Amino acid sequence: MFEKLKILSDAAKYDVSCVSSGVERSNNTSGGIGNASAAGICHAWSSDGRCISLLKILLTNDCIYDCKYCLNKVTNNIKRATFTPEEVAELTIQFYRRNYIEGLFLSSAVEKSPDHTMENIYKVLYLLRYKYNFWGYVHVKVIPGASPLLVEKTGALADRMSVNIELPTRESLKILAPQKKIEKILEPMNLIKNETTRYIEDKKHFVNAPRFVPGGQSTQMIIGATPDSDKTILNVSQNLYDRFSMKRVFFSAYIPVVTSPNLPAVSSMPPLLREHRLYQADWLMRFYYFKSEELFTEIEPNLDLEFDPKMMYALRNLDRFPIEINKASYEELLRVPGLGVTSAQRIIRERKNAELSYDTLKKMKTVLKRARYFITINGKYYGNTEFEPDAIKEEIRFKEIQKQLSIYEFI
Amino acid sequence: MNLYEVVMDYLYDGTFEGLLTCIYFHYKEENATGIYNASSYQQSIVNEYKIIKTDETKAGTVSNAINNKISREAYINVFYCFLSDIENKENIILEFLVFAFKYGKNTMNFFSHEKVLPINEAYIKVSREEHKFLGILRFSDIGGILYSRFSPDNDILILITDHFADRYKYEKFIIHDEKRKKAVIYSEEAWEIKENVIIENPEYSRDEKILQSLWKQYFNDLAIKERTNINLQFQFVPSRYRKNMAEFK
Repeated sequence: MFEKLKILSDAAKYDVSCVSSGVERSNNTSGGIGNASAAGICHAWSSDGRCISLLKILLTNDCIYDCKYCLNKVTNNIKRATFTPEEVAELTIQFYRRNYIEGLFLSSAVEKSPDHTMENIYKVLYLLRYKYNFWGYVHVKVIPGASPLLVEKTGALADRMSVNIELPTRESLKILAPQKKIEKILEPMNLIKNETTRYIEDKKHFVNAPRFVPGGQSTQMIIGATPDSDKTILNVSQNLYDRFSMKRVFFSAYIPVVTSPNLPAVSSMPPLLREHRLYQADWLMRFYYFKSEELFTEIEPNLDLEFDPKMMYALRNLDRFPIEINKASYEELLRVPGLGVTSAQRIIRERKNAELSYDTLKKMKTVLKRARYFITINGKYYGNTEFEPDAIKEEIRFKEIQKQLSIYEFI
Repeated sequence: MNLYEVVMDYLYDGTFEGLLTCIYFHYKEENATGIYNASSYQQSIVNEYKIIKTDETKAGTVSNAINNKISREAYINVFYCFLSDIENKENIILEFLVFAFKYGKNTMNFFSHEKVLPINEAYIKVSREEHKFLGILRFSDIGGILYSRFSPDNDILILITDHFADRYKYEKFIIHDEKRKKAVIYSEEAWEIKENVIIENPEYSRDEKILQSLWKQYFNDLAIKERTNINLQFQFVPSRYRKNMAEFK
């Protein structure tokens, strides 16, 4: 068991999604175990600082495919292992009882055939839900090419499903994963979308509407294995959100694990900062009312690595700033670099009582480190620099160096 | 300070009802200059004091008044502040309520007002720890009973119990706050909190040990070497929380 868990958790760890959020369900079973919390719960943080919320494992790493970027490809000489559905269910329950995890995230290599693998994934869910009466969170991967009936049956028991889009463009997919066809990936996405829409509609009319992935679907793509630009990536992700009502599109910085002439060298560093910038941009588009074209210029299809996308947007559009904290609308406040949803809401709420001053903002714990260059408070500008892109950039860099120096002195 | 003015401290028994009873007398009888826990009160020559006997009905009157005349949000913040480990929390609550009864339903909009800010900060502090422990509390199976021990900064036992009572509805469990020597005991869909509880180190069965090592191995394997960030890990799980977590043993 130790050996199996080692191989199959090791193989799953590069999967990004570990969220357990989006489903609120209390335990109203008889004799059952488990609930789900809409906000999600993190149970542990590994030494890379990532949150562990779900037991994230592969059912098997024994794969018939030969995708260039993947550690489990059939031509790679590695140890292979396969869990039985019973083993996965038992381990999930025992970890869950000890409050190690919020539920299960089950993925798999394609063993024998897509249908065979999907069937085993379904068995795990069936055991968990009916034998163990487990109603904690379960997220499963859909194996492209599996029969629609199996996908439907699994979806009726899972909280979230995801189909990996793998790479941003058809060309990239053709080069790196020649056995995977984009149609086979989009097919189940479409099915999940239609079924979830059906479920949401039915729920309005019937209390006992047959459930279907109440947590919605997500997908992930690999960043940095191919020459695709950030603009392309974000357009694809926008497209996925719109067409398949995705809950999340995850990006995964490519960590070179195999050698191939079409891939970055094994010694190269994973593009973590780029991944971070993409998430920031993704966030801006989903929660801050930004359009993807506002984040790029005509000549530059990639995001800046030194400054975050909102800062770059503000610097390019200085004519719309500075905005007055006491007058700006909620949407305008959200466009100020460094101001988030919480700060913006607090500002709106608090300024009903009295005009805000620099001190009140400080007391409200509003972080003005970056915001100060783009706002006025009662007409006064606190940026302490010329109102011009390069000057602001210079000032921020200077502050950053100062901060680091003072830390060194402190040590 | 005017020396001829009576300085009257109220002492209560450390319960939330006791504290609310003090608030009741503050309005109905004599103004309290401060409220203190009787067990840790330092007498001084200039202050007079009065021991307030907890009265559930009077406490109920005050709690209704907070809910109706101020807001539900205010009531929750007061309760969370009471559970915090902040030293003069009673007086933060007293000063907040005096201010809030004057301003009424609008009070919570004064987020940064000097009488409101401390209550808000206390709420944020306690609810953060509450949410954290929903995740990092660890149970072990001791002969079929799920047992957990922790030493939180704030008195959050009562806040987290509902979640686990739902999650482990048909199990029996004990959550033991070692710092405050109290424990919640849950079985057959009902729970109660016991004071003065001391539980010795339990003996783990073979299966329990295997599961703990499986978890530990899983936990260590999951980390991606290329992304190691120990500082970030410490930010999320400070060392004081780690001693009861199987993966750090």
